[in-house]
Amino acid sequence: MAGPARSRHPPEVPSGRLPLHGAGGSLALDVALPIVPARSLRERLLGGGRTRARTDRTVLVLHDVTKEYPNGRVALRDVDLVIPEGDFVFLVGPSGAGKSTLIKLLIRDELPTRGEVVLDGQDLARIGRRNVPRVRRKIGIVFQDFKLLPRKSVWENVAFALEVTGTPRRRIRPAVDRVLALVGLTAQARQHPHQLSGGEQQRTAIARALVHDPRLIIADEPTGNLDPLISWEIIQLLLRINELGVTVLMATHNADVVTALRKRVVALEEGRVIRDEVGGTYHRVD
Amino acid sequence: MIGFIAFSLRRAWQGFWRNAVMSIAATATMVLMLLLLAGFWILNTGLLAGLEYTESKVNIVADLQDNATEGQVRDLVARVEAMPEVLRVDSISRDEALQRFKASRRAQREEDLTRFLDSNPFHASIEIFLTDAELYTVVQNRLCSEPGPTGKGCAEEPAIESVKNQQALVDNVVTITNVLQTAGAVVLVVIGLIVLFIIVNTIRLAVVARAEEIEIMRLVGASDAFIRWPFVFEGAMVGVLGAALALGILGAAADPLSRFMFDFFRVLPLEFGGLTRDVLVLVLGAGIGLGVVGSWVSVRTYLIR
Repeated sequence: MAGPARSRHPPEVPSGRLPLHGAGGSLALDVALPIVPARSLRERLLGGGRTRARTDRTVLVLHDVTKEYPNGRVALRDVDLVIPEGDFVFLVGPSGAGKSTLIKLLIRDELPTRGEVVLDGQDLARIGRRNVPRVRRKIGIVFQDFKLLPRKSVWENVAFALEVTGTPRRRIRPAVDRVLALVGLTAQARQHPHQLSGGEQQRTAIARALVHDPRLIIADEPTGNLDPLISWEIIQLLLRINELGVTVLMATHNADVVTALRKRVVALEEGRVIRDEVGGTYHRVD
Repeated sequence: MIGFIAFSLRRAWQGFWRNAVMSIAATATMVLMLLLLAGFWILNTGLLAGLEYTESKVNIVADLQDNATEGQVRDLVARVEAMPEVLRVDSISRDEALQRFKASRRAQREEDLTRFLDSNPFHASIEIFLTDAELYTVVQNRLCSEPGPTGKGCAEEPAIESVKNQQALVDNVVTITNVLQTAGAVVLVVIGLIVLFIIVNTIRLAVVARAEEIEIMRLVGASDAFIRWPFVFEGAMVGVLGAALALGILGAAADPLSRFMFDFFRVLPLEFGGLTRDVLVLVLGAGIGLGVVGSWVSVRTYLIR
């Protein structure tokens, strides 16, 4: 990947080298929603202390979130973040900046020490253990290492997400077939992960993340293990999913991609949001 | 609900076979541990039966006055039999006592000296079998704690001439049986704990090997029940399979083993039916119980905090 020096230049969309089929469409769509100051939006949405107030416009609100681990390390400090529905957000920052902690808070693997994390109108600290699985089904999560089950076929890996959440079998087949078609893996449905390329494995993981019809896709370094060409394929797929109305939050170190796409960029450093701009680049352009 | 159970059973079955190496290792450990447990259980049962047999040989022999009437003896026997500590009372006449003595001389290939006697020197007696050897002193004192008014016989029971004092012997027997009983119980508990920890740990290993699968289930929004029960059923499966194999091995070994220990069992009238049932319940119960507990505990680590 390119170093910081190179990506300080104006975004060179590497379209000459990279097959951005259809990406033009998504770039044209890039009229990202205006950034509303987190506090005021939250007040408007949740005013009067009604934590259940829900609109169709906001998927995620972080309000004044601080996370301190028992060992005293403060991973996040006073983070305010509002992600409207349909947004495509890059989460950038050096290792240890708090990206992983942020993701853990979103899937309620951790609870904030202070502040609120409101997903789809629900304060995650108040939902109770029993409701955690239901909230997690509103999120599809994709990892750098794919996290596929090696002994299951592509189809089974995707179906697994529905099976273990108690979906009736008659509804599993059409849902899995639909997402596999969406990610272009219908032909590979019977293959096992070791028979697939890295890109195909990641597309399987994306299909699995999508099969619940989530409100939000969290992609944690989805291109970290892939070569640049395949990385762009995955990014395109995420853009297409975003076009279909699914909000995407992608944590990445891939400066080329961030800078080229000019989406909303939230930069974390030492646990603070140091930058939140629409049409941003990987590094701050002064 | 039925759908959930069907799902859990299907997942347990798949989980078992798709992780065959781990499952077989867990089952093999289960079999060995259950054999160990059952083996010690059988040994302990044998030990207890032996001790019981030894204790049952402890009895109180009370010699009767030669002039005691039949009615007096009948009353005495009835009174003694009514005591809660007493299992049964055998009455031995003077003739029977003489015959027994002759028989024991013959058995020892010693010359029968009684033919030189003018009359039968033996007293009639009663043999009192106790429910528990430790009650020896209680019963003995009730029969004869002090001499009668003439300085002979017993104050409590005039029909009794004397009670043989075997206190020291009885004390020894009681001490030894108590020590052995306690030791047997302690060994069994220790073996039980070893079996518990090894099986739970083995199942834990099998669960940890699938941490990623559990992680994925959590992330896609599986509820605790959907994560836990397939593993619990799988643990139960390992338990049933392990118990069945262990019982098969025990069943196959029972015949040659009992022939080998024929003499032992001839002396000790062990209740074999009871033992078979106990071992069956123990092995199946321990197998399934430990499989379920092991899985339950191991999966808990991964559930929602």
